Amino acid sequence: MNRHRIIIDADPGVDDAAAILMALVSPEIDMLGLSVVAGNVPLRDTVTNACKIVGISGRADVPVHAGAQGPLVREQVFGKYAGIGSFSDELVARGGIAPAEEHAVRFIARSARDAAETGEPITICAIGPMTNIALALIQHPDVARGIRQIVSMGGAFTALGHRTPWAEFNIYADPHAAEIVYRSGVPIVVMPLDMTFQALFTTEHYRAFRDRGGAGGGALYNLFSTFDRSDVARFGRPGGPIHDATTIAWLIRPELFTSREATVGTQITGLTMGYTYADFHQKMDRIPNATVVTDVDEIGFINLLIERISLYGKAASGPKTPGG
Amino acid sequence: MTPIPIIVDCDPGIDDTIALLTAFVSPELEILGITAVCGNQPLEHTVRNALQVCELGQRTDIPVHAGCFRPMLREPIHGQFHGKTGLGNTVLPDPVKRVEDKSAVDFLIDTLTAAAASRKRVTICCLGPMTNVAVALRMTPRIAEGIERIVMMGGAYRESGNRTMTAEFNVLADPHAAHVVFSSGIPIVALALDATHQVMLKPGHVAQFSNVSGRISGTLAELMAFWDRNDVRRYGSRGGPLHDPLVIAYLLAPHLFETERARVFVEHESELCMGQTIADWYGKSGLEPNADIVTKVDAEGVIGFFLDRLSRYAEKAVA
Repeated sequence: MNRHRIIIDADPGVDDAAAILMALVSPEIDMLGLSVVAGNVPLRDTVTNACKIVGISGRADVPVHAGAQGPLVREQVFGKYAGIGSFSDELVARGGIAPAEEHAVRFIARSARDAAETGEPITICAIGPMTNIALALIQHPDVARGIRQIVSMGGAFTALGHRTPWAEFNIYADPHAAEIVYRSGVPIVVMPLDMTFQALFTTEHYRAFRDRGGAGGGALYNLFSTFDRSDVARFGRPGGPIHDATTIAWLIRPELFTSREATVGTQITGLTMGYTYADFHQKMDRIPNATVVTDVDEIGFINLLIERISLYGKAASGPKTPGG
Repeated sequence: MTPIPIIVDCDPGIDDTIALLTAFVSPELEILGITAVCGNQPLEHTVRNALQVCELGQRTDIPVHAGCFRPMLREPIHGQFHGKTGLGNTVLPDPVKRVEDKSAVDFLIDTLTAAAASRKRVTICCLGPMTNVAVALRMTPRIAEGIERIVMMGGAYRESGNRTMTAEFNVLADPHAAHVVFSSGIPIVALALDATHQVMLKPGHVAQFSNVSGRISGTLAELMAFWDRNDVRRYGSRGGPLHDPLVIAYLLAPHLFETERARVFVEHESELCMGQTIADWYGKSGLEPNADIVTKVDAEGVIGFFLDRLSRYAEKAVA
């Protein structure tokens, strides 16, 4: 099997935890490392959380690299649910790994440049603000050459925003970084709110994580039980999205998704900062820079995530989470 | 006296070259490294030129690190007065000296982290777009504790721009980087066009430099002659403004300069005024000053300073 060699660049974050646990247990994925950025919560907390998630996965071989503490140009903003801070031991069991010494940006740049040299480019799953990736891309042209694709959870088109009326959080938190990534020449796969809002997880699904998923599933159940992600007024039915996990699902089972090519960019100034546009109809007369994923097979994606998390129930993995 | 540890972040460039050649023969300065950046020329040229200038000045002991190959967000722009290679019509031998493996950004972070720990703070001389320093600061903000101050050439305050109506080249080339640096809280000395246009390197000066500068005189005269803007309407005389070398002169002969403290803002949002630097001379912003802006230069004194320094290339033993 041809495995995807990936780096996940993340800001855990509850739904980051689902994406990371899904990737770490999936045989189609060769995880080179986890680079961490400030986003949903401050860097100190995202690093702690990343280390704890890798800890419970039993994959202590996967390094966690701490990255940028804040966005490139704009003032820092955190997620709507930033109150979660660093995951308590009640939510995710103690026993996280220690972060690696190498800076996340150096790790990304080194991995990509090595990949450019060996001709085996890597995939980056970007599930937080893209500050680390942008800082790596600026430094050497071989960084872009060594990246096969960046699968970016971020942006919103007709769905409109969830952090501001116009903006999705990951892009809003560092629109300049997003624009650097969009214009880098690296093929971009965009997982926007328009698509992630289509797959809604309910308590029944979280219970399936807990009942079948051992330590990993127990921790996810705890994390998703900390606040109610459903928004009936917006979605028309109960349940909440697990945005970040769509990036991993797209790599493993692309047939679950529908996509279109488009030129994608973001507004970096003013009131609508972080607003993303997708030119589906070639109005801008530019060669599309992105594959925008527009639709997801909801049942297929939910079942895939539950199936993968269930693998944590089959093997002895990391330390058990209380209540999990 | 303990020499001042400096890193020269630059994009050589003719005026960068004069600055480097001056720093090379100044024992008051300990040059920890040269970090090249995309600016007056694409990165591969600025790196090559830095290596060649080290060889010309017989300072191959100084490590040269290659930095960012592009500005943070904007498309690269390059200088208009440095010829095809960045060194005018001057052709220097292919460099034997090699660029270091470590990137400029990693070198800045490692050196400044060590400087913060040892409390031997480093002065950063910025002679080009400030992409390298901004990227390093965004990667590892605590390196600010290892920086004594940043002495930078760039910007235009009461003076109008030299690349657009409102913007000076180094700031326009990477206004986001300039914004990052000016927002960092690090002490900054700004040598903008307001200062550099006061020091014109005139044809008569070129002859003087040629006479005193010994083994580099041919190359130096050629570079300086190429620098003549031939624009009396703008500059009031023949010759070219001595932009980047003023950073070195300021470090070594601060008595030749007068400064005013002000808060500096960098326009990085509007296309019309992109790269404009604005000084809050009268406290309108309510924010604390973040820079010492050079407002007045003793031009004759500065020319004399450079004649004195560059005449050291005529001496037998060079520092």
